[in-house]
Amino acid sequence: MSSTYNSNAYNFGFLDENTKRMLRRALLKAVAIPGYQVPFGSREMPLPYGWGTGGIQVTAALLGPNDVLKVIDQGADDTTNAVNIRRFFGRVAGVATTERTADASVIQTRHRIPETPLREDQLLVFQVPEPEPLRTLEPREAETRTMHALADYGLMHVKLYEDIAQYGHIATSYDYPVMVDGRFLTSPSPIPKFDNPKLDRSPALMLFGAGREKRLYAIPPYTRVESLAFDDHPFEIQRWEHRCAICNAGDSYLDEVVVDDRGTRMFVCSDTDYCSQRSDNAATEEAA
Amino acid sequence: MLAAFDHPVFDSQRNFRELLQAMARPAMPRTLPVLPPAPAPATPAAMAVLLTLCDTSTTVWLQQPHDALAQHLRFHTGARLVQEPAEADFALISDPQTMPPLTAFALGDSRYPDRSASLVLQVEGFHPGTGYRFAGPGIRDTERVRIDGLPERFWTERAALAPRFPLGIDLYFVAAQNVLALPRTTRKLED
Repeated sequence: MSSTYNSNAYNFGFLDENTKRMLRRALLKAVAIPGYQVPFGSREMPLPYGWGTGGIQVTAALLGPNDVLKVIDQGADDTTNAVNIRRFFGRVAGVATTERTADASVIQTRHRIPETPLREDQLLVFQVPEPEPLRTLEPREAETRTMHALADYGLMHVKLYEDIAQYGHIATSYDYPVMVDGRFLTSPSPIPKFDNPKLDRSPALMLFGAGREKRLYAIPPYTRVESLAFDDHPFEIQRWEHRCAICNAGDSYLDEVVVDDRGTRMFVCSDTDYCSQRSDNAATEEAA
Repeated sequence: MLAAFDHPVFDSQRNFRELLQAMARPAMPRTLPVLPPAPAPATPAAMAVLLTLCDTSTTVWLQQPHDALAQHLRFHTGARLVQEPAEADFALISDPQTMPPLTAFALGDSRYPDRSASLVLQVEGFHPGTGYRFAGPGIRDTERVRIDGLPERFWTERAALAPRFPLGIDLYFVAAQNVLALPRTTRKLED
């Protein structure tokens, strides 16, 4: 795939150098102000908004010829979105790609954090549809900006409280709001709340790009990330009664898959790389 | 007229990745992989940072705006040089001992704290493991480093900005081939 990059056809990484510099300046400010949404001039990309244009632009500003890129969509390397983005960067940057989490230097993700723990030398880039955690509660950007300036997050606590009053528990299961370094209320992008603990004090730098909303933000390594909760209703992640039907993992995020027209279901790992590594290891052990 | 990067696309990308890691892991020196020529009083490491990040959409303030340096920056980046520190997106501090107070630079707006200055300070050297202790986002426990060549008032001025977070100034120290960043979130501990 790396041989397909034609330096006469595209600038390296598709974006022009001025755009990359703008993104790089914004990324540095984002890291300096953890969880704060930095506005940037989002470009038109050869994919529609909603297909990860924010993540793609962040990745394009990062990539160099020696990077190894992994792209996942809901944990899977083999879905349309992931395959297309991987192929896109193969063509416009000629970078090596991989499906193995441990081999990647840059991982672009839609809606999951890999199960395999990340390292300090890896970068995780999130595709974000709605960067503003308060948007469903307050539609005006000028208002939400002011709320962030004043750290006025009472509205979000009221929303979570109303969940408890109505359902007896906090009903938010994905895009569960977090406080970054005790200051900025931040959307973790629609990852399942199962992944929220992986945001806290992560060894890897995490970058978030929202193309349509023209915002990017960051969570630096080893930064305190707390999921909002109440003393009498502490934060909890999802648990399953099942294990993965393929690799028998009991610690990973499971997808429920309907396998026939009579409603038979199976539960499998959402992280395809994690699942296949485990299956391969089990197969090797059996053979040995 | 001196040249800029030999390979503008790849050299600035490699330098940027080190700057990003420097900002993400404060108080830890990183090595800049590509150093371009630089007219005095700018050092090659400072020029590497400016060429990587500045262009026609940024303003730059030079503490010592020598003609050759000003022309070099204008020619290679197209950046607008400004007279007032408060107008600068980037400021090159080539003599920290006589630098203006930190409050002379833009701290950002409470709704847009990113509209704040980034300073590139040419210092004498870094000595990890000795000197002041730092903590904050990006630092696992604490990190100790001594930065040579700063006036003592610098730390008082910087500490005075801390309560104004998220407003603040982000700092890149350069010495020889190394860069060390202190974002506004990094706290100098008293001990």
